[in-house]
Amino acid sequence: MAFGAHAVPPGRRASIAARKRALADMLRGVGGTRNRVRPRASSCGIVFALAFGLTACGASPEPEAAFRVALLTPSSIRDAGWNQGAYEGLLKIKQELGAGVAHQETRTPQEFEVGFRDFAARGYQLVFGHGFEFQDAAATVAAEYPDTVFITTSGSIVRPNLAPMVFELEQATYVLGFVGASISRTGQLGCLGGIEIPSVASTFLAFEAGARSARPEVSVRVSYLGSWEDVAAAREATLALISAGSDVLIHNADAAARGFFQAAGEAGEVRVFGANRNQNELAPAVTLASATLDIPSAFVEVARSVKDGRFVARPIRLGLADGVVGIAWNPPLFAQLPEAVREAAQQLEGQISSGEFEVPRAGF
Amino acid sequence: MRRAELVAPVAAILAALALSALLLLLLGANPVDALGALVKGAFGDRLALENTLVRMAPLLLIGAGISIAFRCGVWNIGGEGQLYAGALVATWVATRLLPGAEAVLLVPLVLLAGAAAGALWGGIAAGLRVGRGVSEVLSTILLNFIAVLGVAWAVHGPLQELSGAYPQSDTFPAAARLPMLPGSLRVHAGVLLAMVLPVAIWILLFRSAAGLRLRAVGLSPEASRYAGIYPLRETVRVLLISGGLAGLAGAVEVSGVTGRLFENLSPGYGFTGIAVALLARLHPLGVLPAALLFAALASGSGAMQRIAGVPAVTVQVIEAFVIFFSVGFALPRRNG
Repeated sequence: MAFGAHAVPPGRRASIAARKRALADMLRGVGGTRNRVRPRASSCGIVFALAFGLTACGASPEPEAAFRVALLTPSSIRDAGWNQGAYEGLLKIKQELGAGVAHQETRTPQEFEVGFRDFAARGYQLVFGHGFEFQDAAATVAAEYPDTVFITTSGSIVRPNLAPMVFELEQATYVLGFVGASISRTGQLGCLGGIEIPSVASTFLAFEAGARSARPEVSVRVSYLGSWEDVAAAREATLALISAGSDVLIHNADAAARGFFQAAGEAGEVRVFGANRNQNELAPAVTLASATLDIPSAFVEVARSVKDGRFVARPIRLGLADGVVGIAWNPPLFAQLPEAVREAAQQLEGQISSGEFEVPRAGF
Repeated sequence: MRRAELVAPVAAILAALALSALLLLLLGANPVDALGALVKGAFGDRLALENTLVRMAPLLLIGAGISIAFRCGVWNIGGEGQLYAGALVATWVATRLLPGAEAVLLVPLVLLAGAAAGALWGGIAAGLRVGRGVSEVLSTILLNFIAVLGVAWAVHGPLQELSGAYPQSDTFPAAARLPMLPGSLRVHAGVLLAMVLPVAIWILLFRSAAGLRLRAVGLSPEASRYAGIYPLRETVRVLLISGGLAGLAGAVEVSGVTGRLFENLSPGYGFTGIAVALLARLHPLGVLPAALLFAALASGSGAMQRIAGVPAVTVQVIEAFVIFFSVGFALPRRNG
């Protein structure tokens, strides 16, 4: 209560009137000399000077390039997986094609639609909706903006300016299922999904089919979080799968997968697989392999075709043979596998890649 | 509302904006561009404005319900759960119970069912308070989880679309959809309803004997007991009203906006509604501008990402600043 001249003498309660007077004086800056308001006013001035002085160095404002590309992701681009790969793809488009790029994280179907529409309305030539769930919104907006190309990564809806880019991750998860069943001690495998959408369910379906091809009696438990981002729930669900007897696990849960790797690292006596990107480093002691996607190269290819006016709307399917889907083994753990399993896995990968063997997948 | 009452909320908003500008500066973004994009994304064109109005409706309903509950000293933190309960039952009526009914009948029924379900969800907390003395703060928070998980179960089970592809309900029949206002693409009749109901709540709270009793209990349960008011009866009443409004918000959302039920339906409307009520200083009419502000933040934040290239996380921090300051500055002083 040191308001200078009107400071309240110690040991005596100020009357309300005295307090009001002290406050009014303080606000006018006439109280004492030590506790003036002026220093604060000048710091405000500095803030505003900074605000208007530094207007030149924006983060990444609206791009002005002739060719402009935008990306909508369903969750955070810092997931070391599905979304990060897409964001890297966007940056690669910027770098290699000189495109102006923009990105938005969108969570609800309304946001998908608003995002698509806004980018299209502002003249973006290409907008990616990163996942199966973007199809309906993309189809709605694609009809309104025929001059913008919309790509959904997964799905089946095709329009003159809308096409799905389907990554055949199933080709990799099938092989991982085969290996997982071969090394499982309990005969039970676990799958952890983010939100239950057909494209994710399909990767687990192939995982299970691969597992059964190695050991017909194997059982596969699937658990969904209802979220792409709930790390704590992913950790709990993974621990639950492990305590229920799963000793080989795969995920497809985007940013929430951090909890999956945490739990696996704690449990120790398990083997897990990463998805959508090389995630072996997230829990190197237990991660045997990752089913990887080279999203950036695929994005650049489709963007180049749009830029050159060569784009034709048809489903773009990319798999092991195209080098877009792959399996990244964790060398020390791979070396521990029985010789026969290693050979069988590599043979299987070759057969799938050559088209000799077709991996089952969900029909969507 | 006295002029002094306006100072704290406005100060809260200005403080949040100033801090946001500072944060944007530290991150190397241009605050003028970024906040400009926010305003543009919220009000810049017709689509943006409609998007803001649509997002405002649930905040209005929940905010009005929270303000009446808090005025009565009942800390209903369960708006989110009551919204989900309302959306769940509304969806059941629209897609399973009466999908073939006429619109004149079905739309009101869907809304009433949602409101009743929300009131029931609030009523459970009231029952626990009356019967067992369980604090409504705890019970309403915990009931949130049950309702959210209940919706998750329903869309994976009994209410899942017949094609079985997504964990979501079937689309509402056209007769169960709230009609759009004439000349608008997205603004549905529920927005009007949501703008009228806070006025009704204001009349109830400040122009009726029942409202006087509610406020008396909020000011002093002891004193009101001496005056012949039963505080518990008012507690039950107010939980039913605020639960009903949140349930109605859920029904309006599925019937007017999404046209179906799915997980993560609400981007936290039930919790933002609390911030709306606090920023409005628990005044049912103050809820109108407060809800508009938070709706504008939500719809403008996407534009901040799209136009100014500000990362989503930063946008969330800015939203948190507004909530933080509206709670810190704008809470009415008790015993002040």
